[in-house]
Amino acid sequence: MQWSALFKKEMLENWRNKKWLWFPLVMILIAIMDPISNYYLPQIIKSVGGLPEGAVLELPEFTPVEAIMMSLGQLSSLGVLIIVLISMGSIASEKKSGVIELILVKPVSYANYITAKWASLFVLIWTALFLSLVCSWYYINILFGSFSLLQLIQVTFFYGIWLTLVITISIFYNSLFHTPGLVAFLSAGTVIAMSVLTKVFHHILTWSPNKISEYIHTMLLTGEIPSELIATSSVTAGCIGLLLFFSTIIIQKKELGSR
Amino acid sequence: MQEIWSSINWAVIAPLIVIQGILLIIALIDLAKTAQTNGPKWLWFLIIVFINIIGPILYFLFGRRQG
Repeated sequence: MQWSALFKKEMLENWRNKKWLWFPLVMILIAIMDPISNYYLPQIIKSVGGLPEGAVLELPEFTPVEAIMMSLGQLSSLGVLIIVLISMGSIASEKKSGVIELILVKPVSYANYITAKWASLFVLIWTALFLSLVCSWYYINILFGSFSLLQLIQVTFFYGIWLTLVITISIFYNSLFHTPGLVAFLSAGTVIAMSVLTKVFHHILTWSPNKISEYIHTMLLTGEIPSELIATSSVTAGCIGLLLFFSTIIIQKKELGSR
Repeated sequence: MQEIWSSINWAVIAPLIVIQGILLIIALIDLAKTAQTNGPKWLWFLIIVFINIIGPILYFLFGRRQG
């Protein structure tokens, strides 16, 4: 009961500050940019010119799978950056302005407060991800060749788990600090550090969350869900649970201490 | 130039332009409605209108006052 009230408040707030309008549109742009520009690359090069007379440019032909991986690649960089930036103030700015005191002075459980925040971001991000991949799928079917709807749903599901980890990392730093900029910096830093560690120790960290898109690629090529993908997703889901648990404890300690 | 213009598949490019236009309009409406922004309002107007795609996004991320 209490949780749904908090959740509704968060959803209303995300609607009022127009995140529901612009964020899905931006994700769509990010997802379709690369497949389209790669498709038109030969024409772009031709119209820009500057190639010596008689030069032959061999450009690879892309398969539908490569095209959807381009979308995921852009979502992993620009998309993650924007997700970090929209979630940076979700708790931190309430701490800064003192709104958190107004909410938590009432008998609101800390776990409800954190999970309602998290769930509102979760719904926003999954909706945006699904819409953006559907648009990308539409273009891939026009430009590169057929790509089944079932595969698209699989891609959305597994990639969504990775983006969920990103918002959870951001919520975790939100519970620690009250400067939105610092939260964004540390969240982005953590994601980058994780991907560097995964690259360096790739033979040990085979279940690292950063490998999800790599295994999604394998899934699309082989046509079946590899066991590594399931293991990696479970590890990621575990990390999400742990981070949410720690965020609740941290905010409880900090807020009780400050009063 | 004529040749390039006609070689573009408008069914592919038009949605991009539409999305960009919607973002621009939402950003402008929001800017007109809000009393205060981070930094001068006229500067945000210029950013939204003249910086392609990224302008409206920058406004939503950094221009709006939180809370």
